[in-house]
Amino acid sequence: MSRLVVENLTKVFSLGFFSRRYIKAVNNISFDIKEGEIVSLVGESGSGKTTTAKMILRLIPPTSGRILFEGKDIWKDIKSQEALRDFRRKVHAVFQDPFASYNPFYPVERTLWQAVNLLEKSPSNKKEALELIKESLVRVGIDPKDILGKYPHQISGGQKQRVMIARCWILKPLLIIADEPTSMVDASSRGGIIQLLEELREEQGTSIMFITHDLGLAYYVSDNIFVMKDGEIVERGHPDKVVLEPTHEYSKLLVGSIPKLYRKLEGL
Amino acid sequence: MFSLMIRPLFKNKKFIIGISIFIFFLLLGILGPVFYKVDPTEMTWDYEQPPSSEHPLGTDTYGRDVLAQLFHGIRSSLYIGFLAAIISSIIGTIVGSFSAVKKGITDDILMAITNIVLTTPSMLIAILIASYLKVRSMEAVAVILGLFQWPWYARAIRAQLMSVTSREYVYLSIMAGYSDTKLVIEDLLPTIATYAFMSFVLFINGGIMGEAGLSLIGLGPTQGISLGLMLQWAVLLEAVRRGLWWWFVPPGIAIVAITASLMIISTTMDEVFNPKLREE
Amino acid sequence: MKNREILFKMENVKAYYKLEEVTVKAVDDVSLEIFEDEVIGIVGESGSGKTTLSNVISMNIMKPLTLVEGKVFLKINGEFEEISSMSREEVKKKFWGKEITIVPQAAMNALMPTIKMSKYIEHLAQSHGIDKNELLSKAEKRFEEVGLDPLWLKRYPFELSGGMKQRAVIAIATILNPVLLIVDEPTSALDVVNQKIFLKVLMQMKKMGIVKSIVFITHDIATVRQIADRMVVMYAGKIAEISPIEEIVQKPLHPYTQGLLNSVLTPEPEIRKRGITTIPGAPPNLVNPPSGCRFHPRCSYAMDICKEKVPPLKEIEKNRKVACFLYMEERK
Repeated sequence: MSRLVVENLTKVFSLGFFSRRYIKAVNNISFDIKEGEIVSLVGESGSGKTTTAKMILRLIPPTSGRILFEGKDIWKDIKSQEALRDFRRKVHAVFQDPFASYNPFYPVERTLWQAVNLLEKSPSNKKEALELIKESLVRVGIDPKDILGKYPHQISGGQKQRVMIARCWILKPLLIIADEPTSMVDASSRGGIIQLLEELREEQGTSIMFITHDLGLAYYVSDNIFVMKDGEIVERGHPDKVVLEPTHEYSKLLVGSIPKLYRKLEGL
Repeated sequence: MFSLMIRPLFKNKKFIIGISIFIFFLLLGILGPVFYKVDPTEMTWDYEQPPSSEHPLGTDTYGRDVLAQLFHGIRSSLYIGFLAAIISSIIGTIVGSFSAVKKGITDDILMAITNIVLTTPSMLIAILIASYLKVRSMEAVAVILGLFQWPWYARAIRAQLMSVTSREYVYLSIMAGYSDTKLVIEDLLPTIATYAFMSFVLFINGGIMGEAGLSLIGLGPTQGISLGLMLQWAVLLEAVRRGLWWWFVPPGIAIVAITASLMIISTTMDEVFNPKLREE
Repeated sequence: MKNREILFKMENVKAYYKLEEVTVKAVDDVSLEIFEDEVIGIVGESGSGKTTLSNVISMNIMKPLTLVEGKVFLKINGEFEEISSMSREEVKKKFWGKEITIVPQAAMNALMPTIKMSKYIEHLAQSHGIDKNELLSKAEKRFEEVGLDPLWLKRYPFELSGGMKQRAVIAIATILNPVLLIVDEPTSALDVVNQKIFLKVLMQMKKMGIVKSIVFITHDIATVRQIADRMVVMYAGKIAEISPIEEIVQKPLHPYTQGLLNSVLTPEPEIRKRGITTIPGAPPNLVNPPSGCRFHPRCSYAMDICKEKVPPLKEIEKNRKVACFLYMEERK
């Protein structure tokens, strides 16, 4: 069954007050994500992939089209505060910039307290909550001693992204939008973050949507790839199909330009 | 975090000078009337006396003690300044932050109001309102002044918050189910705290100057004593022409020193917190 | 590999950042040769000292960076000159632009948006005492060679896209035909299509003899793999391995190189099959690096000797040098 269905989603930004200009950031896209499926939305900056992610996360409203999560339109059928909190518990995100993901005024664990407080059944007392936070940190391979009470600038980018995954582990959402979660992390810590996300899927059947410019990452992790260009999905399908037999001009160009490890690019 | 922010301020010589002058006058205003127990409104037959041991700063035409007036004047001028600053800061912060957070139509309306207030000559409106009020308390004057000096601050706050609201941590707080109010208080206000404080200092300044301005044209508070009122009486009774310097020089110095110290405080804060202006 | 002439060499170079309280050992005892007519890729994670190394190669040494030990030689007219004994100003005046040119990281964003591209050429002509018009006409030709309309010279940098700006920068930087070109992370800010175009331009410059050798510094192994003849892997201020590119990709020797290669994700079936692995831990702090081999706390093959002794960079196969006790006699 499809967990998330996106139908004819369009987002138009308007600029200026008197002489309005319109920019179609996302143009009539449709796709769906099944339970426990990992999909990737691949595109360069400006392709509309991040705008799509924000609409699914219910951060900016679409201009037209529908986003159905578990059969409910997330922009029309969520009316009460409680329904919204329920949605927030079930759909979560990990963002690209580990530095911008933390408010510099608060200790790192604030982000985990936020998650604990959002839970349907919050732990009855502070001690239990702290235990849960510690457990989540151990779960993502961090010694709680290393980060509790620290401020964001005192821990590394890789650790920050792991704490973000710990936040997802506390919430156990049904869908995680991972917006370039590894692009600002050192090569040697990148694999660990991908593995942690994959484990969440194995354990809890979480669906994951990677938003990335990195076709290599998408090829490696996904069950399904959507290639976006200028607000439209130009190529979709199984990773092998998209990477080995691309049909659209743009995806051909993309695949032909990406440096490979075991092959030399043609025409250099 | 807080001490980290405050420490560099006290390494700045200009800031120390500014804050010392200000605290000196603040203490004069608070403690002066406590220790110098002369009623500033009591009229005596010793009128227009130059400074003497009995009246350290002399007396005015009605035989009132100038030093006592000065202490009370500083106190009320600061009181009006603070009150006006609190009013302006609250209005500006609310308007600016809600514009930035709510966006869309709320933003359009709030910004339209802000621009109207910003482009209206505020002193003129203040004069109009003040002249309609037959009895003007200190508080009324502060409110009149406070209502007109917030727009530039609201716009600056909005611009700053606009850039903050597209940061990931704000999204993450929204995704943790935060309401707009909680978001503003926990995530947004701390980022504008230093700017808000700087502006608050400037607002006090505006309040004190505004009061002096209104008083000089006879639209100041109708009861009590303020630095502006002292100057107004001195002007009305031609103290300058008649050479009664002890009457108008002390309040003049007090106003200049207080407002100058506030300006120094706010510009040095800007220097310390805005790395682009920091001297190498 | 054929026997090549050495163009540049550095011996036991130690370059530290001397800060008020601490010393950051960014490049620590590094020896390296660059041959004529080669592209050498220097690969490492952030904080591995690769950018500092590029500054040492061009003798762009400014406080707090200090050359503590070692010598740097550049072959000029068939003779090795010790450029490390000269001051930065002297090297800059004598060799920069003509013999050696460095394009620093994010150079394309350092162009003033309101200064015409041709102004940079004029400035260059002035500082090198060359006729302005001669250099301008040369620049027009060079722009054409890198696939840019010569008319762009009369434009402002903000009118150019990222990929075009980067090509304009490289065209201006190589206008005096430097022998050795050093580029630091030139492709990381570009999208993949422009990355490929840029790599093509670089290779073309080498083929045409505009530059003789290229030092390509990056964190991206797959990019370096496309153009480099040899790859230098840096870890924590030291060279872990130097090998010809094909061999290092097929059979990495140093455990760190292995880990780095296994973290690469490219759209290739081999990668999907291989999976992705992580090197545990994080790169060390260069103020107080670990004893012995700096990689030993993260290495799954670490032996006792690794904690005590620093492994020397030794040639263990033809043209392949590695600094690891796994391949040395001492390990018994």
